[in-house]
Amino acid sequence: MQVTLTHHTMIWSNFILVLLSSSLLWLLAFLFYKKEFLKRLFILIGIVCIGSFIAFLWVKLERPPLRTLGETRLWYAFFLPVIGLITYWRWRFNWMIFYSLGLSLLFLGINYMHPENFSKTLMPALQSPWFVPHVVVYIFAYAFLAASSLVAVRGLYQHHYKTLDRKVMLMADNLVYLGFAFLSLGLLFGALWAKEAWGHYWTWDPKETWAFITWLGYLIYIHRRHHMPGKFQSSLWILALAFVILLVCWFGVNYLPSAQFSVHTYSQAP
Amino acid sequence: MKKNLTKPYYKRYMSIKKPIWQQPWGYAESFTISFGILCVGFVLEFVLPKTQSTLAFPINLILGASLFILLVLSHFLLRKTKIHAFLSGIPLTIALVAALSVLVILMGILPQVPSSQNGLIQQLGLNQMTGSYPFLMINLLLLIVLGFVSLRKTFPFKLKNWGFVCSHWGLWIVIFAAGLGSGDLLRLKMDVYENKVELRSYDDNKKYYEMPLAIKLKDFLIDEFNPKLAVVENETGSLYEAQKPSMIMIEKDLHCNLQSWKIHVEEFYMTSGRAGDRYYQLADFGAAPAAKVQVISPQTDTLQGWISCGSFNRPHESLKLNDKFSLVMTVPEPKRFSSEVTFFTPDGNKQDAILEVNKPVTVNGWKVYQLSYDDKMGRYSDKSILEVVRDPWQPYVYLGIFMMMIGAIYMFWKGRESISD
Repeated sequence: MQVTLTHHTMIWSNFILVLLSSSLLWLLAFLFYKKEFLKRLFILIGIVCIGSFIAFLWVKLERPPLRTLGETRLWYAFFLPVIGLITYWRWRFNWMIFYSLGLSLLFLGINYMHPENFSKTLMPALQSPWFVPHVVVYIFAYAFLAASSLVAVRGLYQHHYKTLDRKVMLMADNLVYLGFAFLSLGLLFGALWAKEAWGHYWTWDPKETWAFITWLGYLIYIHRRHHMPGKFQSSLWILALAFVILLVCWFGVNYLPSAQFSVHTYSQAP
Repeated sequence: MKKNLTKPYYKRYMSIKKPIWQQPWGYAESFTISFGILCVGFVLEFVLPKTQSTLAFPINLILGASLFILLVLSHFLLRKTKIHAFLSGIPLTIALVAALSVLVILMGILPQVPSSQNGLIQQLGLNQMTGSYPFLMINLLLLIVLGFVSLRKTFPFKLKNWGFVCSHWGLWIVIFAAGLGSGDLLRLKMDVYENKVELRSYDDNKKYYEMPLAIKLKDFLIDEFNPKLAVVENETGSLYEAQKPSMIMIEKDLHCNLQSWKIHVEEFYMTSGRAGDRYYQLADFGAAPAAKVQVISPQTDTLQGWISCGSFNRPHESLKLNDKFSLVMTVPEPKRFSSEVTFFTPDGNKQDAILEVNKPVTVNGWKVYQLSYDDKMGRYSDKSILEVVRDPWQPYVYLGIFMMMIGAIYMFWKGRESISD
């Protein structure tokens, strides 16, 4: 008993240290957001802090830390800034890097506020190495696609007043491309996971079905833009409509008559 | 300045109105054709009898190979024609994807389960969309269009198109292999009992098959969460959910607020039995969880009593809060469960393994999954339900999936750049 208790306090005091240092480093990154080198360095060290804590936990627990709600959130907190930084390195979206840092700190903060999450074991089907990547790429997909629809609304407004700038369309296109890439990865990771957990990679579960419809919606947009780069209005409407489907997929699926047979409704889960 | 630039830009791409069905075909023709296919599909579905038959080996392989050869031949013979340009063009792609979206949206709204009713939904196959004629016809046409596009970009091959080629062929392979492979996919269940050898599996219609694989269950292990507290309505027995959370996990010495009651768990045993006016910790077969609770109502009345969720051989016990509501304990949910098994194959080999959710084991061409157990018996279950899956087309589907993943990463990296304006 004594042993586990000291174990626990040791893990715990380290966690606060990680939370504080990452917050501080990323705050510095935010303050120095114009100094490229410093910004990236601070972000990177913050990621290394979280990464080392996961490694430390792995060694102490003598198993991969993937079993509880708290452990899963730790991985989100790690992978969000990793992908955010890669995306930044390639595309220089300041909003995206700070969005991912903010979400990462949010996950760490929730863990800090609710330490009991570290003992809340996930239901068996969720205890998979695919769980975290599946969720993380979806977080990015939704963020990019939401951003693209904001651009679409702006584009429709400008189009109405005949002031549409081609740069706005290019921006929307690029955001859709990145969002679509992440969305595809999310679907494919989900398929590989489903094969390991449920015996088949695609079972037309309502959530899967709606994610697929979303995918088809953006697929139409991409092809339409490729075919008719000069026609803006129809493309912008397709983009706005695709986002409505995305919202159905995100929030609405549980309310549909088909949802009673879904494996993605975890309301009964502990 | 900008305005002057934008106006001609708009005009340049204005399409010139042409009568429908005049070459070259565009959006109007594409959408008309897609709509026509949907109509024909639904008429076929309505008129023809429902069959459960799927294409199995070797017919699916022969049909698939013929389709592929036909596709390649017609590509090279027709590549300069207008019909080829139409069949590999974006307007038809968009129209077909839109038609597919309509079908999949219907699928996403209507429950996809076999039904004994015979209304319009059943007659049009809307409750079993993936096996319906419109769905299959649209997919077949998509496969043809996608095939032509991929072939066109592959021959002649240009290095700058590799991402395009990878993602489009990847998708083609996935649809092709998953579609044709569904006839050869076997997903069966096996009920294995502790210390017994099982050789039979069964399908959803309870039809039994003899397996080329015997499984002996040495031990079934289960680890459960603590049960939860919940308030139910006396009359209906349904969960009262005025406030969230509507259920709280029980622990010894837990103080909590559930709906409008204050609850203190004074004692809690994961396995116990009732003797006289209280429960005692007990390790008997069928011993159930029980808790002694103290409840303070909004009117500050105090109630005290034992609650238990019972088990397959013990009754459950609830605490009546008032005329309308009672406090109950829910049946514990599994935290993890696993089967220690030995596999016997016809060649005389023996292999020990532990099966767990998310950790299937492959033996002799079959993938064996931990699926479930006897949930009425809960932790006392001596039965483990396994799923055995044979999916010979899986490696090809995975090849397609990995090509699509590479395509997705390429797309992330290239962004909109890859398209020339």
